[in-house]
Amino acid sequence: MPTPYDRYAPAPAPARPRLERPLAGRWLGGVCAGIGAHLGVDPRAVRWVVAALTFFGVGLPAYLFLWALTPEAQAQPAVDPASGRPAPVVERAVAGLERSRYGALLAVGGLVVAVGGLAALQGLGLDVRAGVLVPLILVAAGAVVVWSDLDEAGRAKALDAGGDGQRGYLWLRVGLGLTLAVVGITVLASRGAGVAVLLDSLLAAAAVLFGVAIIGAPWALRLWAQARREQEAAARATERADIAAHLHDSVLQTLALIQRRAADPAAVATLARAQERELRSWLYAGPAGPDLTLAAAIAAVAHEVEDLTSVPVDLVVTGDRPMEEHGTALTRALREALFNAARHGRPPVSAYVEIGPAGVEAFVRDRGAGFELAAVPEDRLGVRQSILGRMERHGGTARVRRREDGTEVELTLPALEGIPS
Amino acid sequence: MTQPRAQSARPGEGSGRHTPIRVVLVDDHRMFRTGVRSELAAEAAERIEIVGEAPDVESAIAVIKAEQPDVVLLDVHLPGGTGQGGVDVLRGCVAQESRRGQPIRFLALSVSDAAEDVIAVIRAGARGYVTKTITATDLTTAVRRVAEGDAVFSPRLAGFVLDAFGAAAGELAEVDEELDRLSAREREVMRLIARGYQYKEVAKELFISIKTVETHVSSVLRKLQLSSRHELTTWAMGRKLI
Repeated sequence: MPTPYDRYAPAPAPARPRLERPLAGRWLGGVCAGIGAHLGVDPRAVRWVVAALTFFGVGLPAYLFLWALTPEAQAQPAVDPASGRPAPVVERAVAGLERSRYGALLAVGGLVVAVGGLAALQGLGLDVRAGVLVPLILVAAGAVVVWSDLDEAGRAKALDAGGDGQRGYLWLRVGLGLTLAVVGITVLASRGAGVAVLLDSLLAAAAVLFGVAIIGAPWALRLWAQARREQEAAARATERADIAAHLHDSVLQTLALIQRRAADPAAVATLARAQERELRSWLYAGPAGPDLTLAAAIAAVAHEVEDLTSVPVDLVVTGDRPMEEHGTALTRALREALFNAARHGRPPVSAYVEIGPAGVEAFVRDRGAGFELAAVPEDRLGVRQSILGRMERHGGTARVRRREDGTEVELTLPALEGIPS
Repeated sequence: MTQPRAQSARPGEGSGRHTPIRVVLVDDHRMFRTGVRSELAAEAAERIEIVGEAPDVESAIAVIKAEQPDVVLLDVHLPGGTGQGGVDVLRGCVAQESRRGQPIRFLALSVSDAAEDVIAVIRAGARGYVTKTITATDLTTAVRRVAEGDAVFSPRLAGFVLDAFGAAAGELAEVDEELDRLSAREREVMRLIARGYQYKEVAKELFISIKTVETHVSSVLRKLQLSSRHELTTWAMGRKLI
């Protein structure tokens, strides 16, 4: 039987593929396609074998058994091959329809044939014991509905896409399946007796289920709790290993370096400070990259100056805003000011940057002899160009103040919307 | 709470010059305690006397109750207690008095930059916060200032305050007494401290007396301890303070 799905058949993998039900190329539940892929046989051959076996009464139970126990292949979100983005909703829906069209047709057809065949047999005078068969079919149908539902629920959980509406739908299906199964069992048990007996047996069935739930619940809960505990322990162990790895790569290495260079106090201080900062940012900083915001960029610049000059910088930043070209200019000017302070001043160098809605204000102060702006020669690029000129070009200001002990450089930048671009 | 009760009984200066400030040092790192002890001995042996040390919450409370010091240098992170470190010590020493009859003042020392740690000890009653990288001279000044009942703000704590009270974003109190915002003057003082100014430099810059600067800082400390501003309460709740 030629199928239009040959092109979907899973490519033969070098190693034998895991036994799972593929999403594409399936007719009903994907069992035959899965077996075919697993054994390296044409799925059509498998289908014929299963269909033949059905006539001996083995095929259908075997199929259902395999369908229930074989995991479904992990759904890949449909991707638009051209752009690499997830395909639009419509295309995904069409793909889903294509996947299940033949399966649905086959299921409905099979049901019709089965019911018709049964009716014909009954009409011919053969006793097919409908009183037993119909409830059995009901139970089976209920089981199918519930099982397929659990399958979907698992998948929804894995994809983390189960919205509230979808979850409600799932519960509806679980309820429907259970009802079908309970009704089937009850009918089977009552064997065509009166309504009162039916009710009694319904009650009895409910009581038995209830009893099983009560007896089984603590055990199931314990199992579940244990699984949770083991999962948590594993997560903790992983985290611990991560921390150990980080400490080894950073702190232990630096400590070793410090021991080897113990005779050089300046180097030791620089190493210690750099390591302290690295550890600090690892412990307290968020996942943001260094260049995402102005505050982060300013901190990076201050650390750079510390590293290059071995002079500690006491940096305090309040507020934050996204990085743009004016922020970059301020950061560069601030870097120059910090370098000047570290080179010519006396530690500590203090820097305070206030990023507010009205603009940015930055202060760098040192406690050195300081310098007079008027006394700075025209050709000294550092202060004139790097700081004053740069800030003015970006709509800001720069001011150098001599203080009793030390110098303070003040940089300002207007609010984001106030900058002519 | 913001002012020392008796000006004449100030330790460490004036008539109290001959009686050094009695300090208990609480830190779980023995190396750090040794370092601070020797630094303070070299810097201010006649003004500061370390009368006790403790490595954890329980022994800290015991030593403080036995020694009744003027000032406790308190590490933010300590083993023992309910796991809240310095906050536990502060809770265990509520209403304790020094031998001079003053409340025992706590100065928090930390390597941590995490706002919630700092806010937590301040809200639990510490009179100030300095980082462990502070120089011996600055630490001596801080201890003296705390002993006198004033507040000690590091530039970093000033930055936290400006952020937490929204002052950096331009929120200011209509009246000085408002607990959830800083007044314009308090904001100026905090900004200068964040810029690395000493109290006397702040005073000169704003044309006010050092005493006024100290009053403003104490007032900010009070707001920090009593305010119900969202950011502060969130931080405090993170440390189970509320």
